[in-house]
Amino acid sequence: MAEVAEELLRLTGIRKSFGIGTPTETEILHGIDLVLEKGEFVALIGPSGSGKSTLLNIIGLLDRPTSGALRIEGTDTTMLDDARLTSLRGHRVGFVFQSHYLISAFTALENVMMPMLLDRGRPDAAMRTVARDLLARVGLAEWADHLASNMSGGQQQRVAIARALAMSPPLILADEPTGNLDTKATDSVFALMREISAASGTTFLLVTHNLALAHQCDRIIELVDGQVVATVATSG
Amino acid sequence: MNDLLPFEWIAAVRFLREGRLQSIFIIVGAAIGVAVIVFMSALLDGLQANLFKRVLSSQPHIVLQRPQQIAQPQRSDADGTQVLMAQQKPSQRISSIDQWQKVRDEMALRPDVLAVSPSVTGPAFVLRGDASQSISLVGIDPENYIKIVPLPDKITAGTYRMTNTDMLIGIQLAEDMGVQVGDKLRVSSANGGNLTLMIAGLFDLGNRAVNQRNVYVLLSTAQNLTGLVGGVSTIDLTVQVPFDAELVAQSIAGDTGLQALSWIATNNQFFLGLNAQKYSSQMIRLFVGLSVAAGIASVLVVSVVQRSKEIGILRAMGGSRGQVMRIFLVQGGIVGLFGSVLGSAMAAGLLLLWRLVAKNPDGTPMFIITVSVQLFLWAALLATLTGLAAAVTPALRAARLQPVEAIRG
Repeated sequence: MAEVAEELLRLTGIRKSFGIGTPTETEILHGIDLVLEKGEFVALIGPSGSGKSTLLNIIGLLDRPTSGALRIEGTDTTMLDDARLTSLRGHRVGFVFQSHYLISAFTALENVMMPMLLDRGRPDAAMRTVARDLLARVGLAEWADHLASNMSGGQQQRVAIARALAMSPPLILADEPTGNLDTKATDSVFALMREISAASGTTFLLVTHNLALAHQCDRIIELVDGQVVATVATSG
Repeated sequence: MNDLLPFEWIAAVRFLREGRLQSIFIIVGAAIGVAVIVFMSALLDGLQANLFKRVLSSQPHIVLQRPQQIAQPQRSDADGTQVLMAQQKPSQRISSIDQWQKVRDEMALRPDVLAVSPSVTGPAFVLRGDASQSISLVGIDPENYIKIVPLPDKITAGTYRMTNTDMLIGIQLAEDMGVQVGDKLRVSSANGGNLTLMIAGLFDLGNRAVNQRNVYVLLSTAQNLTGLVGGVSTIDLTVQVPFDAELVAQSIAGDTGLQALSWIATNNQFFLGLNAQKYSSQMIRLFVGLSVAAGIASVLVVSVVQRSKEIGILRAMGGSRGQVMRIFLVQGGIVGLFGSVLGSAMAAGLLLLWRLVAKNPDGTPMFIITVSVQLFLWAALLATLTGLAAAVTPALRAARLQPVEAIRG
C-alpha cells in the first residue's frame, strides 16, 4: 500500500505588495498556492527578483502576506499576533541563511544553543548536551569552543545548520545556503542537509540558483515574476 | 556562559565585550560625568556645611520671646466704633516670658527640638576707666547653653567658667577695651544695675560684630543687672533639622502665642544664598547627568544599527521583542554601573588631591570635606538608572525592528 504523504505547510493565494497606498506600490507575489509535505526536500528556484526570498520570509513567519492564508501543521497563521508568531517560528521553523549570520560574540556551541536559550531563558547542561550532539552531527565537535569569526565559511554554515536543528523543527528554510561556498564546501553542506532530512524527516525548502543542486532535491518549484510557473518532481 | 544568568544578561555582556573600544569610551564618558557630580557634590556639601557651621554655631536655631507690645485702639462701649484715629507704637521694654518654666518644659518634650536654654538678653555698657562700650548682655544657664552654642569650643583664652562674678567676652571687645583674662570690667545696665565682673575667658565666634558686642554672664547675674529677677527674656532652641527651623518656629508660635524667630528669618540673605547655591549645583548636576545619558543613548543607538542583523537573527530564532529590548536595557545599566564605579574612584582621587592642595596660609584645610559612602552609593544607583533610562529609546528601537528588515540591515 502506498504511503500517504502528510501535509506540513499550505499556502493559499499568497500575495505580497510593498509600498501599499503609495504611487510606487508593487505586488511581488501574485497569489501563490503551494503545499509542502513532511520530510520533503524541495528546491525553490527562479531568477533574481522573482520573489523567492520574499516567499521564504513569509513561509518562515518573518514577514506577513498582504493577503492569502498560510497554515503550518494545520495552524492558520494569518490572525496570530506577534508574540504567537514568534513562538511558532522559534519552535516550528529553522533558518539557514546565505551569509551564515552566526552571532559573532558567541562560540559555535553557544550559537547552536541560542534557539533553546531564547526559548528557556537560561543555559543548562541539557542544552549543552543537545548542542554538542548537533555539532558532532555536522562534524564540528572539536570546534565547539571556537568563536564563529575564527571558522571557515563552510564550517560556519554547518554551525548554522546545527543551530537550525536545535529546536527539532519540522521545517527548515535555507536561503541560498551554499551561495557563498566553494564547490567542495557546497557539496558537503548539501549532503549534510540531505542526510538530516532523510534521518529525521525534517522538511527542507531550499532557495538556490544552483540547478545541479536543485536537481538533487525531491521537487523543484520554479518562481518567475511572483508566480509559480512550474513544479517538477525530480529523480532526486 | 554562566547558568545562573538570564540570556539577556549574557548577550548584553558579550555585546559590550565584543565592541570593547566603544564600550570603554562610553564607560569612561559616564565615569567622567559621575566623577564631576560626586566631586562637585562633596565640595559644595563641604562648603555649605562649613558656612552653615560658621553661622549656626554662634546662634540658636530659634529664639522665643514675648510678643511685641501693641497699643490697643480705644473704642466706644456702645457700638464698638473706634474713637481714636491715631495710634503710636509703644517702645519695647525687656520683659519676661510668662510662665517661662512651663514653656521650657513643653519645648523640651517636642520631638523636633533637640535642646532648650532660657536666657536673659538686654543692652548694657562695659566701663573701664574712661573707656566704655555698648554691649549685648546675655545671661545663660551654662549647662544648657552649650547645647545651643558650643561656647567652650570657642574659647581662645581663659576657661568656660561661669560663676556669679565671671564674664566671657569676645576677642574684639577685649582688644577694644585693652583687657585680658583675669582683668575686671564694670557692667552697667540700662535700668541702673551695676556690677564689676572678672573676665574668665575670651571667645571667638567667627563674627567680628558678635565678638565685639556679646558678653556672657550667669543667668542670675543678668537677671539682677536687667531687673528681670526670676524671669527670662528669651528661650533659645536647637532643632533636629536646621533647614526646618522656620516651620518649627511657626508651629511653636501657633502653640504658645510667643514670638518665634528662626535663624532662617534672622539670616534671610544668608539662607537665600545657601538655597541659590543648592539650586545652582542641582542644575549643574542635572545637566551633567543629562549629558551622560545622551552619551550612553547615542552609543547604544549606534550599537542597535550595528547589530541589526544579529537582532534579526535572534528574532528569526524565536527571540521576543521583550528579550531584544532587555539586552539593550541591560547594556545601558551595565555602562551606568561601571561608569559610576570608575567615576567614584576618580572623584575620590580628586577629593584627596583637593585636600592636599586647598589649604589656608597657615596650613590648615580650607574647609573640611567629609565624603560619605552614601554619596557613592547614590551616585552608583543614579548612574545605573540613568544608563537604563538612556537605553530605553535604543532598546525600543531594537525591539520594534521587523526581523526581515533587521536581517537585510
